[in-house]
Amino acid sequence: MGVEETLKKYSWILPLIQKADRATRAVIMKNFRQKKTNFFPEGEFNADVENLINCMLCPNMCRFDCGTLVASQNESMSPAYKARIGYYLTMGIIDPADSANKEFINLMYKCTNEENCKIWCPFDFSVVSLLETVRDDLNDEGLMPDYCKQQISKLNKTNTIEDYNIFETYKEKGIENIESDGNDDVFYYIGCQSMKFPEVVKANIEILKKAGIKFSTNLDKKVCCGGPAFNIREMETAKKFARKNKELIESTGAKIIISDCPGCILTLTERYEKAGIKIEKEIVHIVQYFRKLIDEGKLRFEKSIPEEFRKITIHDPCLIARNLKDTESIRMILNKIPDLEIIEPMYNKEYVHCCGWSGTAHWADKDLAIREAQNRINELKETGANIFISACPLCELGLAYGIDETEKEKYNILDISELLIKAL
Amino acid sequence: MDFKEFELIYKDNRCEIKDKQKIESKLKEIVGENNISTNDVDILAYSKDSTLIGMNWTIQGKIAGLPDFITWPETVEQISEILKLANKEKIPIIPFGEGSGVVGGAIAIYGGIIIDMKKFNKILKINDKNLTVTAQTGINGMNLERILNSKGYTTGHIPQSLYISSLGGWIAHRAAGQFSTKYGKIEDIVLGMEVVLPQGEIINFKTIARASTGPQLDKLFIGGEGTLGIVTKATLKIWPYPAKRTLISYVFPSIEDSFEAIRQILREQIYPAVVRIYDQFETMRHFPDIDKAKDKVMVVFICEGNSKLVDLEESITREKSEKNSGVDCGEHPVEHWLESRFRITETSSMPPYKIVFDTIEVASLWENASDIYHSVLKSMKQLQGVIMITAHVSHFYPNGVGIYFSFGGVPTKEQSDLEFYQKCWNTVVKAVLDAGGSIAHHHGIGINRAHWMESEWGTSMNTLKEIKKLLDPNDILNPGKVYVDTWKGGEK
Repeated sequence: MGVEETLKKYSWILPLIQKADRATRAVIMKNFRQKKTNFFPEGEFNADVENLINCMLCPNMCRFDCGTLVASQNESMSPAYKARIGYYLTMGIIDPADSANKEFINLMYKCTNEENCKIWCPFDFSVVSLLETVRDDLNDEGLMPDYCKQQISKLNKTNTIEDYNIFETYKEKGIENIESDGNDDVFYYIGCQSMKFPEVVKANIEILKKAGIKFSTNLDKKVCCGGPAFNIREMETAKKFARKNKELIESTGAKIIISDCPGCILTLTERYEKAGIKIEKEIVHIVQYFRKLIDEGKLRFEKSIPEEFRKITIHDPCLIARNLKDTESIRMILNKIPDLEIIEPMYNKEYVHCCGWSGTAHWADKDLAIREAQNRINELKETGANIFISACPLCELGLAYGIDETEKEKYNILDISELLIKAL
Repeated sequence: MDFKEFELIYKDNRCEIKDKQKIESKLKEIVGENNISTNDVDILAYSKDSTLIGMNWTIQGKIAGLPDFITWPETVEQISEILKLANKEKIPIIPFGEGSGVVGGAIAIYGGIIIDMKKFNKILKINDKNLTVTAQTGINGMNLERILNSKGYTTGHIPQSLYISSLGGWIAHRAAGQFSTKYGKIEDIVLGMEVVLPQGEIINFKTIARASTGPQLDKLFIGGEGTLGIVTKATLKIWPYPAKRTLISYVFPSIEDSFEAIRQILREQIYPAVVRIYDQFETMRHFPDIDKAKDKVMVVFICEGNSKLVDLEESITREKSEKNSGVDCGEHPVEHWLESRFRITETSSMPPYKIVFDTIEVASLWENASDIYHSVLKSMKQLQGVIMITAHVSHFYPNGVGIYFSFGGVPTKEQSDLEFYQKCWNTVVKAVLDAGGSIAHHHGIGINRAHWMESEWGTSMNTLKEIKKLLDPNDILNPGKVYVDTWKGGEK
């Protein structure tokens, strides 16, 4: 709620205070004056205390749609409680430096960044945006949890979020690397998690080629976007990766940057800009670009999809649905593919439930993330479809954890490009 | 952590558990390793409910009650076994749904074992022919309603707490939704239940539209507030999702005019789903942009259901409103209410200024409604520190109403916020009783109203206490509520 809206909403309070007796008025005025002294920490802090208070005192209006709460069925995962603990850590009511309070610190990382909470929030913020400000203070105090330190260490050592530089595996995975000549139309920015799905990357390259696009991938120079460091709020590493990527992207000469990873899109755009490192390029998700190519007639549907791939449901990646606010590109592409039977899950588009694999939760509590993935898989199974289509490597990774070993043959999680290529 | 950093509000008469490890291992045997916790991070999470004074405590680093164990049973048999253990060891049990109660019903005031019902979250059956849904009672209200909506049904039970409350909480606290004038209250909606009694016995009340099979024992558990048994499963009435919805609003010169219009509407057996009266102050607070509403009483109506019936309801609603000096305000006020009804920000905005804020809903026959309204306002205005006392009226019957007061203020002199809060509560409740009303309409008794139960019930309270003793001889199920004056009367 903006300042103007807030003032308007509470304009009725002023006449009440004016009408009150002198003693009451004196108490109220004192309380108003002392709000910061009473309830804000002393000294410098990064935490968004105002909104931590708003969130922790809210009766949890988003609780029914919080993925971690639904997965754990534990009140301690409720958004308002996370904000409450964030506030207590900030105020020192719970001493963050006391090793006995480690679980309270861990709670600040048990969020999947899905931002379902924002849809229902009476204050229009997401809980992760608050938790990140608490993480800033924890990092400043040297209290970053070990599992986060490990991710930062991997980033600095391998330039990716893996124990090794996953981009270097392209040859063994049969992925073609296209070096930039500095004059590309498009730079295909492959996400490091996408490298775990070589068939997806190969499909994307083939689709771009079929459309006659001049593009490069620069896999020999490629590094992580730095998204994990932004999640953890280790801003030194985050900015280092932002600078590296800006240089790499600008060296291609491409006007349009496309990525197969919605997390990369968020990082390359909003997050870099907030960190003061703006890339002056059009940066879009690959489904948005494919949609454009289809509209322009550069991609034509010439083949029939094999029968076993025809009954599908859609898992909207939350970053495309809620951050890019685009739920139509995926559907537009799928609707153009002949012979498909598309069955929407109950929770779809901007109301999609998370795969469990975004944010920091899967490092802080892998079992929790898996339970969230299982919940989402159950929702997808309820559609009766056997093919689950998504457009995010993290979703595809998370959802795979949600399928029981005995059902791996029955259900197939595919990236939209893997289906699209079958029809071109 | 020993939680010494936090001031504990309810700290008297805590149960002494001599061998906590033994109890923990027995609970593990019953529910499994992953369904019990004594971790600080979990214990603190279950230290409060949504009682509004609790929000002031939260920001001040105080906690209401401190449980010893949190459990998440997955079967009714596990609940039964926990209760048997609790009886043997004389440990309090506190059933917990979504923690949205506002009278302290889920606070572990003596410590003990929380039974969190969240894993009882499944819809078991939807029966189109009978128009029923059977669900486990830990299910969140919104999750129940939106699944029903997706299949073309509604329960019609839409409380403001829909997003944050559970089916079990509705039943335990005898809840009412905002659409209740048409669809009824929870006791009208529940057709069958499974209940675990305090000593572990599992009983069932079979689902039936209506029967003449002796006293309605099942009703004892609707409003039992988790003191007489834990309801684990319920079958509810459902309705086809309404085909038509008409939004109507009128402003009236006085609350009496609005009462009279609505009384006459209901006398004609016309039941708009939503009827809400806002007194002058609430009208100014919620509808400041509507010129016609200045210094008036706003009433919003929603008629819904079969299209022909809705048209008839609309016609009679308009006729009676206009006959009682109502002026048509169009759809906008109703749209505004629909858009804003779940945007609750007041609970967050008051505590940073140490303002004590709460709502108290009470019930009345038509003949006392106006007296109760004016009497409460008059009494509260005389109380030092109170800066706001207003009301809206949102539940209606052919015979009476439910009035919902809101108050805000600050403790002056040497009062604590709890003492001031108790004084406000007691002032409202006393004025209601003196004017012939009933002390609660749909939030229940919990801690906040327990000391008024004798005044409300008279000698029949003895019978209720005897029933409690019979079912729960060791007083292990949600103790310190309903029958016990935990506030020690507060400052009457």
